[in-house]
Amino acid sequence: MIAAMIQASTTTADIMKAGLMEEIFSERTLQATGPFMALSFGILLLVLAEIVPGLQLLRKLIFIATLGVAGWCAWKTIGAPEAWVFEDTYVANSTTGWWTMLFLAATFIAWLFGQRYYKAESALEGEHDLLMMSACAGMVLMAGSRDLLVFFVGLELLSVPLYTLSAFQRSRRESVEAGLKYFVLGAFAAATYLFGSALVYAGTGTLTFKAINPADLGGPLVIAGAALIAASLFFKVSVFPFHMWVPDVYQGAPAPVTTFMATGTKAAAFAFLVPAAAALLPYESKHLAAVIALVTMAVGNFGALVQTDLKRLLAYSGVAHAGTLLLAIAALQGEPGPDAAMRAVLFYMAAYVFTAGGAFGLVTMLESQTGRAVTIDSIKGLAAKRPGIAAALALFMLSLGGIPATGGFLGKYLVFSLAVRSDLLVVALIGIVLSVVALAYYLRVIVALYMQPEMDGKPVPTQARALSGLVAFACAVMVLALGLVPAWFLDSLR
Amino acid sequence: MTVPSEHLLILAGILFAVGAAGFFLRRNVIVVLMCIELMLNAANLSFLAASRMHTLKAGALGPALEGPIFAIFVIVIAAVEAAVGLALVIALYRNRQSVNLEDVSDLKD
Repeated sequence: MIAAMIQASTTTADIMKAGLMEEIFSERTLQATGPFMALSFGILLLVLAEIVPGLQLLRKLIFIATLGVAGWCAWKTIGAPEAWVFEDTYVANSTTGWWTMLFLAATFIAWLFGQRYYKAESALEGEHDLLMMSACAGMVLMAGSRDLLVFFVGLELLSVPLYTLSAFQRSRRESVEAGLKYFVLGAFAAATYLFGSALVYAGTGTLTFKAINPADLGGPLVIAGAALIAASLFFKVSVFPFHMWVPDVYQGAPAPVTTFMATGTKAAAFAFLVPAAAALLPYESKHLAAVIALVTMAVGNFGALVQTDLKRLLAYSGVAHAGTLLLAIAALQGEPGPDAAMRAVLFYMAAYVFTAGGAFGLVTMLESQTGRAVTIDSIKGLAAKRPGIAAALALFMLSLGGIPATGGFLGKYLVFSLAVRSDLLVVALIGIVLSVVALAYYLRVIVALYMQPEMDGKPVPTQARALSGLVAFACAVMVLALGLVPAWFLDSLR
Repeated sequence: MTVPSEHLLILAGILFAVGAAGFFLRRNVIVVLMCIELMLNAANLSFLAASRMHTLKAGALGPALEGPIFAIFVIVIAAVEAAVGLALVIALYRNRQSVNLEDVSDLKD
């Protein structure tokens, strides 16, 4: 039998080889995988910059140039015809192009806010940038994959650098604790994902979404496998009951890494969750997903109400936002369909990346300037001394709360209207009520900024950093642009 | 006498459950890492069992190679995770002189 297997494999391999080689080096493949290739090449250059003396000075230039080239490659896939490559395991179309742009933006925002953040570890910043770029490459791979194996490689390319980055401040107890907690739970989630994939493979005989026969989907093995895969993805996007690690890790990790995690990781996992749910989850899972979404929103919003540390508060707020996005996943099983859900999720995440990126970024700046954790108390009276920073932070809070004229509002509107169209009216109404609860803690931050005097012993910094201020301003412009003139973006997604 | 592939899948399920139980019950980080390793290997075994099942199925076009290939990827990534995990354990021990998860609780509500 083994001899027969080898015989069979050589013949299939021979037949496949000629066509496969031609396909791998075709222009179409290169264009589809361009952003990932550019990032991979950038990673190699950064490694080189670390080991060749003299090249270290070029590190920042390499980082920016790589993001730029990858962005240019992603821009070329937007509007181009959809390209399925590597035997239908990877896709490049307008949506994945925009997702890639979003990951690059998240990476760039976190990286810019991280400048001058590290003090004891500043000699290791080359490694920091290298790991960040690997994680970004992983995100791009995750968003484009339509195959369980390719996604897994992307997931690990993202996760392993993030474990290391979370524990980057090796001498700080909290940082190492955050890294370890994230690692232990992340490795558990990866094992769960793998066992789930194995069950799906046993049930369907394939790992590629396009090749799955819909008739196989009802089998017990596939349902168990899809549930395990969903559980591990829920861990990555911090959905109840797998959200417990989020506040701890966000608080303990270095602030630039938290910024990166909060925006990029969540976006990448949702970019894959939509097609995966469309391919693997049966229609009956819709109501279960809607209930989990509501519980997640409740846990996140009520958890955030009692927080004083700003990173923890934003972490719980991120859990609530993941719940809202899960509502779009639940709705895709109904009438609107996966494409409409993908558009809503992408727009919501675009607004969230700039909003949360800006908010976490300003926390990064304040933490770095004062050398202390940023709490509600420590930002009191910021508006009097740094009106620009306070206004930006207030705008981010309003957008997170979903106030009209901000990108956050339109994202929420798209998701909730999707839920209504998918016959989830009651769920959408409860979700809207929970969003109102959320305003309580966002407004608490604004009250502290504008209406309370500076605390004794907790002075706010008298100067803002020019670079951080500039990035925060750019994020604020994007938040307003997505809220006021969203048409160009929404149109390009059709 | 050949072992049915379903039995291999059941064995993999039991191994996975043992690993998951150990993950939740044990408090020593090293033992937790071993439990994760057990879960990863359970996934490997089920990939191979599933591949065998699809290869021996009537009407199969050839060997189902996705399973073994995925298993190779898992082995590589398990090694990566072990390396990073043990590095984190060393950093933890330098900070706290302990590798017990109960002592790792500075961050909480």
